[in-house]
Amino acid sequence: MNNQSGTVISVSQLHKSYGAVRAVNGVSFEVHKGEVFGMLGPNGAGKTTTVEIIEGLRFSDSGSVTVLGMDVSKDVRSVKQRIGVQPQSPALFPTLNVREIVMFFSDLYSKSIPASEAIALVALEESSKVLVKNLSGGQQQRLSVALAFINDPDIIFLDEPTTGLDPQARRTLWEVIEKFRNAGKTIFLTTHYMEEAERLCDRVAIMDHGEIIALGTPRQMIDEHFKESAIQFRMERYPSPEALMALPGVTSTAEEGEEIIIYTNNIPAAISALLNLASASQTEIHDMSIRQATLEDVFLKLTGKRIRD
Amino acid sequence: MKAFKGVFIANYKQFVRDRGALFFSFIFPIMFILIFGWAFSDPGVATFDVALVDEGSPVTAGAIEEGLRQVIIDDNSVFEVEAGELEKSLDSLRNGDIDAVIVIPGDMDSSVDAHSPDNLDVYYDPSQTYNQQIMVPILNEVINQVDRIIQGAPVIINLEEHSIQTKELRYIDYLVPGILGMSLMFTGIFGGVPVIQQRQAGIIRRLGCTPLRRSMLVFGDLVFRMIIVILTAAIIVGVGRLIFDVQMVGNWFSLCGIVILGTLVFSCIGYLIAAFVKTEEGAIPIINAITFPMMFLSGTFFEVTNMPSFIQPVVDVLPLTYVSDALRQIMVDGVPLHSMGIDIAVMAGWTAACLAVTIRFFRWD
Repeated sequence: MNNQSGTVISVSQLHKSYGAVRAVNGVSFEVHKGEVFGMLGPNGAGKTTTVEIIEGLRFSDSGSVTVLGMDVSKDVRSVKQRIGVQPQSPALFPTLNVREIVMFFSDLYSKSIPASEAIALVALEESSKVLVKNLSGGQQQRLSVALAFINDPDIIFLDEPTTGLDPQARRTLWEVIEKFRNAGKTIFLTTHYMEEAERLCDRVAIMDHGEIIALGTPRQMIDEHFKESAIQFRMERYPSPEALMALPGVTSTAEEGEEIIIYTNNIPAAISALLNLASASQTEIHDMSIRQATLEDVFLKLTGKRIRD
Repeated sequence: MKAFKGVFIANYKQFVRDRGALFFSFIFPIMFILIFGWAFSDPGVATFDVALVDEGSPVTAGAIEEGLRQVIIDDNSVFEVEAGELEKSLDSLRNGDIDAVIVIPGDMDSSVDAHSPDNLDVYYDPSQTYNQQIMVPILNEVINQVDRIIQGAPVIINLEEHSIQTKELRYIDYLVPGILGMSLMFTGIFGGVPVIQQRQAGIIRRLGCTPLRRSMLVFGDLVFRMIIVILTAAIIVGVGRLIFDVQMVGNWFSLCGIVILGTLVFSCIGYLIAAFVKTEEGAIPIINAITFPMMFLSGTFFEVTNMPSFIQPVVDVLPLTYVSDALRQIMVDGVPLHSMGIDIAVMAGWTAACLAVTIRFFRWD
């Protein structure tokens, strides 16, 4: 790893097609040691395929992937010893209990942390004797996360780890991830929650149609795409996009469900003009909010979709 | 090795929590042994109640009665003889109270004295197969002997029986190895089900993220099943011995060898099914369609020599036929493994063929 000692994952010119569908189309990026790297994208963007090739679950058609200095296509078993994976669906033996599952997984690796430690990490101590099939969806998800930590990995891959968790459990998991990062480990995260990505990720890559369309820190991305702030509201009768664009300082507009978003670098002038527009066309404005642009806005601008779609 | 231990323990825990598996492996075979063992236990030789209707020939009647009383098998008289009147006796026969009515005509004594042939009548119910197959031949034999004694003819040729079996084969001796074979079949073929379940549930895919070799998952399960079948074999043979005094003549190592080989054959059939069937719901009916006919056609409960001849070729290719035959040879006759070349060759052939097709078509996801 000599001259790139800080790089733990290196992906270069990755291609993968399923029949005529190009799932991954020339993806290249690097993940640095000790960072939380986020991968965002709408469903079908090629995130999962990319991650699964890095994890050694799938083979690429072309391109190279190096993980911890090892070529995944050659040293897949050594790579798997040193990474932890939490896949999207937990998929565990239904008639084993929490502790037995954790013990089973620790037997699969040459080194592992104590089972009780892994269980405590995701606060499942009280359920350690409960069979997997009797756990709630959220508990299964937490167990699945615990299993990703069982081999004390250098890199951990979390695929939507907080989906289905209540806010309390989500916050707990965020703390686990931050603790893990503070220990110098690397986290590769895919998520649907922009708030989560903004809070946790040092850098994010946005994928769409099999390609990375943006990569950087969340702050960089927002600054790069939006000098403006966002005004978000509902209106009984939709004004034309031209009318909205004509408002003071407005640089772009977007629709998000029933809501309209306008991005402007002159908030006070834009608001008063907007209110005038509404009264002139005898309609009302509801639920108006003014906020800083977020990663969600960047995502919407770049992909034309909300991430949840 | 650590991974193997993990897989083995996981299989064990899942097995003991699976009531269906426990039932099929342990309770089901024992139930069959008890039910069939008791229902078809050899009745020894039944006693036949015979009414002797003497219409006026006391000498012949006395000789026949004496002849009947002398038929003794296993210290028991075969015939219970009573004198009776014709009409009453026939009524009793119709009611099923007695098994036969022998009518000795009044002119029999004089016919005997005159050495002129005469007939006596025997009434019985032929719908009772036991009567037709066993009682009538014995009656015939008794009458023949009485006939010879009366005529003073010497017995020239005497039949002396020699069994080529080292041991008398009772039904239960035939049944117990058959039930053991059946258990191996169920345990083996059902070994394909966890593979299908785990693939269907995404567990195999999930484990693909770990360094575990997927083949280890199957291998661990197979070894676990081997231990289960050896346990099953011990229980079946033990129950046979305790309750029905079934002897295990052969060598225990030979028995274990066939048990393991037999389980391997059927496990490979199970994996073959897993190579072609994606869902548990789809697999179970197929497994049933294979196992239940095979159970009957391979002579688990009854010998299949009585079946129509077009079935015989099917019987001759079924692996269970050979597994059960090998188990029977070991348990009943103590035949050593090296004398069962054909059985072992057929099992090995089935294993190799199923494995080859499985490897060609099996998909892990």
